[in-house]
Amino acid sequence: MSLSTQRKSIYPLAEDDWNSIVARELSNLAPEDAVGQLQSWNLHVFMRPAAPKDSPRVGNPILPGDIIFLEAPLT
Amino acid sequence: MLDLIIKNGTVIDGSGMPGYRADLGIKDGRIVKIGRVAEEALEIVDATGKIVSPGFIDPHTHFDAQLLWDGCAKPVIEHGVTTIVPGNCSLSLAPLKAEHRMKLVGMFNQIEEMPYKAFEEGVEWNWETFDEFITRIKKGLMINVAPLVGHSVLRLWVMGNASMQRVATDAELVELQKLLSECLDAGAIGLSTSFVDMDETLQPVPSRYADMRELQALSEVLGEYGRILQIVPEFYDADLTIARIDQLADLSLSYGITTTFSPLFVNGDNLEGVNRTMTRVEEQAARGARVWPQVQTRPIDISFSFEVSSLLFFRLRTWYSILRFSNHEEVMAAFKDPDTRKALIAEATPMNPVWGSLILRQVKSEENQKYLGLSLSEIAEARGDGLVETMMDLSIEEELQAHFLSANLGHNNDTKVAELLNHPNVHIGASDGGAHILSFSTYGDTGYLLGHFVRDKRLLTLEQAIKKVTSDTAKIWGIADRGLLQTGYIADITVFDPKTVDRGDEYFVNDVPGDGFRYVRDANGVECVLIHGEIAFSANSGYTDSAKGQILSGQAS
Repeated sequence: MSLSTQRKSIYPLAEDDWNSIVARELSNLAPEDAVGQLQSWNLHVFMRPAAPKDSPRVGNPILPGDIIFLEAPLT
Repeated sequence: MLDLIIKNGTVIDGSGMPGYRADLGIKDGRIVKIGRVAEEALEIVDATGKIVSPGFIDPHTHFDAQLLWDGCAKPVIEHGVTTIVPGNCSLSLAPLKAEHRMKLVGMFNQIEEMPYKAFEEGVEWNWETFDEFITRIKKGLMINVAPLVGHSVLRLWVMGNASMQRVATDAELVELQKLLSECLDAGAIGLSTSFVDMDETLQPVPSRYADMRELQALSEVLGEYGRILQIVPEFYDADLTIARIDQLADLSLSYGITTTFSPLFVNGDNLEGVNRTMTRVEEQAARGARVWPQVQTRPIDISFSFEVSSLLFFRLRTWYSILRFSNHEEVMAAFKDPDTRKALIAEATPMNPVWGSLILRQVKSEENQKYLGLSLSEIAEARGDGLVETMMDLSIEEELQAHFLSANLGHNNDTKVAELLNHPNVHIGASDGGAHILSFSTYGDTGYLLGHFVRDKRLLTLEQAIKKVTSDTAKIWGIADRGLLQTGYIADITVFDPKTVDRGDEYFVNDVPGDGFRYVRDANGVECVLIHGEIAFSANSGYTDSAKGQILSGQAS
């Protein structure tokens, strides 16, 4: 049994944010739309409660353990 | 002279083979004879008309704290369970430095709803290492314990507060590997991690700050020891769950480890997602990966009073923040304050179908006894008020001791759940035993399996159901000499009546240290439970003073 096609995803690198993932993985998308699209495919990350003000992760909700989708859900 | 004989029962040996009439002879904790046993014994158990099966194994529990004050993990043994796996979801109580104790208590309180006072009054903090913790819980242990070590706890030990901020450095990875090895040497059956849980400040637990290279480093150690990895995936989303299955499969194939994820729920709106998830599990199994989804038997229901926060209000921000971070007086004041009340009503009203079906199950006052057993819809109509208003007013009248039950919230499609329970790639588990003690009873899932799915609905055979919660579990977790009734195997045995076996009604009981309460269920139809050849519980005389429980570290297969 071969593996069926699934929604494309990556594990983020340690310091990844939306912009670095777009730059590395989504260079085919128009830059002005890419971050918004990436966020819309990853609402489980984008909608996450903000980090505390004293956290080094302020402003970046992406965690090293996350799954980040690089495309919309497959129909 | 044998120690004990179980006579005249129907033996269902855990292999999935049909049952047969036989006696079991037991000596020095092991099964020494199966058939017609004519020898004498110090003790006889008459199992006429009863099923004799291996003791059940519960692979997803959080009895870590309870084991410090209760070596029986009551009431699981009376449900036929002889082995439990605590330490799931990245949380164990060791290894734990003294300065991190309150942090871990906060996480246990948030994630597993274990009250702070239970830790304050039930726990003597006299360990730090995993080895010391094992030594601590071994005293008076009645039930077998196959403990996982939690990934969040390993990170806390090695990285301190940085564990909740960043990935590990190369040097810290080496320390994490070394620490995991020490825990496995001390008896841990494997490692647990979580990709969803949040701490007491609603921030991600430490395990979620680990990157793939950390998981690979820890899996390398697990592979050397042949031990298991348990994870909590983003179970609310099929695409995320499938991505986690792929991640687990890669780890399984790269390091030769068994992996399991829990939970996998069936809800009305995710049948297609469950089907896709299981297709992926099958595809990865065909590649040779070992990825076992855990499926619980019982439907989801939640009981609550407003004395403590409840999972049911997790998505209602105003409600949850009040219930989670306020004391009794502050919650009462919030419910009485007109402005706060207005905000709470507005936020909760979209969930009126849920509130309307709540059942009032317990009150203190005489005047509200007449509402017991009625739905909140019926009570609201009788009082001429709205649903949310009635819920708050009853709670004010009862000093927050009005208890409501929200039944059948999900995972209640019997046909689909049974299809999963029967599936050869599914592992029955995810009971969460010992956790969420103020929201629902996590005991009796095996009774529900045998009573509801096997006897009443006939959706599984008795042999298949028993195999799933005994030998299958033992094989997946690498628990040797248990899970089957065979000569030479350890005599962990459950004797039950197939006509009456079931979980009992849920009730609220005041038996938690710190004058605390919890929801529990008694068992129906379980006649006798043996652990390591000694009677630990019998329906006639209750718990004995046997203390034959062992730490089972395993070699996952």
